[in-house]
Amino acid sequence: MNKRTKMYKGMNLTIFTLVMVFLYVPILILMIYSFNDAKIITGWKGFTFKYYMELRKSEALKAAFWNTMLIALLSTFISTTLGVLAALGLENKSFSGRKVMQGLIYVPLVIPDILMGVSLALLFNFTKANTGMFTVLIAHITFCLSYTIIVIQSRLEGFDYSLVEAAQDLGAKPSYIFWKVKFPLMMPGIIAAALLAFTLSIDDFIITFFTSGRGFDTLPIYVEGTIRRGTITTINSLSTLMIAFTLFLVAITKRVRKIMISAL
Amino acid sequence: MHKERQQHIAEKAAHHKNISSWLLTLPSLIWLSIFFLIPYFIVVLYSFLTPGTLDVKFEVSLDSYRQIFDGVYYKPFLNSFLLAIYTTIICVLLGYPVAYFIARAREKVRNTLLIFIIIPFWTNLIIRIFSWRIFLAYNGVMNNLLTNMGLISQPLEIIRTDWAVILVTVYVYLPYMILPLYSTLEKLDFTLLQAAMDLGANEVKAFFSITLPLSLEGIFAGTLLVFIPSLGSYLIPQLVGNQKSLYIGQVITYKIKNIPRNWPMASALSLILLLLVAVLLLIMYYLFKRHQRSKRRRYE
Repeated sequence: MNKRTKMYKGMNLTIFTLVMVFLYVPILILMIYSFNDAKIITGWKGFTFKYYMELRKSEALKAAFWNTMLIALLSTFISTTLGVLAALGLENKSFSGRKVMQGLIYVPLVIPDILMGVSLALLFNFTKANTGMFTVLIAHITFCLSYTIIVIQSRLEGFDYSLVEAAQDLGAKPSYIFWKVKFPLMMPGIIAAALLAFTLSIDDFIITFFTSGRGFDTLPIYVEGTIRRGTITTINSLSTLMIAFTLFLVAITKRVRKIMISAL
Repeated sequence: MHKERQQHIAEKAAHHKNISSWLLTLPSLIWLSIFFLIPYFIVVLYSFLTPGTLDVKFEVSLDSYRQIFDGVYYKPFLNSFLLAIYTTIICVLLGYPVAYFIARAREKVRNTLLIFIIIPFWTNLIIRIFSWRIFLAYNGVMNNLLTNMGLISQPLEIIRTDWAVILVTVYVYLPYMILPLYSTLEKLDFTLLQAAMDLGANEVKAFFSITLPLSLEGIFAGTLLVFIPSLGSYLIPQLVGNQKSLYIGQVITYKIKNIPRNWPMASALSLILLLLVAVLLLIMYYLFKRHQRSKRRRYE
């Protein structure tokens, strides 16, 4: 390795380090400041657990938390189920509706989120639907569905059919082959899809903002409202807990992470 | 006779397979038709109606389009467009070396490094934006630090400027650029690079004639993932930007949410934004196809 190659390598390392600092410093400071004994954004005023205790008192926050979980679990379950079915249907390369279906799956991904929010808001207005849990759930399933289909489909494309064929040669029944051979092989893809849907759902602000009525807040909506009203003391501690939850998710999903990245 | 029968059976099997494909995809097809496709027809319909204070009046009007073509909203569109361009360029410039560095690291180290990109990717968007408010605020961490170090005498006012919007947008979408770039770079055959250098090309030349062309697909994917959401972004300018310079996502949201509402205008603006995205996608598609064609030619 000559000197210049080393220099370029050093440059990459430097940029990598700077980007890491850039990505992590704001989050770390937020976490540290969640223990700061101050009501407004200011310097360090001493250590406290006060704002974590305050979190437990807020009924609105508790409601927002359970709403988020309910919507995330239901939309994950429904969009993943629909995704498995659609991906199995799309496995057939000579399927006559393949092009239409692929279009319907990919187009939502390349359109800004806000447009899905606007269009759903108008749909619910036009049909005089009562906005609330039900409309939010519909919206979340809609934006998760493309992702779940694509992740499961990409897993099926890299599929090793020799095991399925071996089972066929040995005379196993189709239903047996599906449940005992194929489905277990699909499982990592399904878990990756479900995980992606879950994180997309708990993360979403804008589409929920357009489709939830008054009185149905999810966590991001609650956080935004609190920031807007200026009472930000508990936001730091709440954010720290949410970041801890992200770390937990990253830690328990070592195996499926690769599938998610390669599907991107 | 035997052959014909076999063919008949094969055709029948293909037919059955096609029907089962329809049945399996039908639920998703219906779902996306009702909740993705049809709503856009309603957006088109509403864009030709008259605004009411809380709702729309079902009277046909071209006012929304007239105002748009009179240039009333050209500024927010321009702001968003420039934001998306700046963000994408900065993300490529910062993301490329990072993705390259990870892709060339040893396999064990690689996975650990990737986690560092994935954690922000999975962290809640609103929290990540909010963290910059603490960092950049007038009395925030950065200003305190810089004043204490004696580098500045007065706190910098970065928060609530267009600079803050660009900075935070880059921050939010950088992982969306790094991950697809990494995916293509990881598959790249680096022995080609070595070969070029053995044949006398220097690093810069080897990079521009081998690495960069072979990783263009990752740049395309990353650009899509960064450019489009920045173009429609609402939350970032809303939380760290300035009410004097609005972005198109904010204008659309205000027209839908704030009273007096103007849903026809929000619809018309949404359709213009959609059109803009469609044109961009077509350009990208054209460039991508051309790139693939020239790549194929080179290998033939």
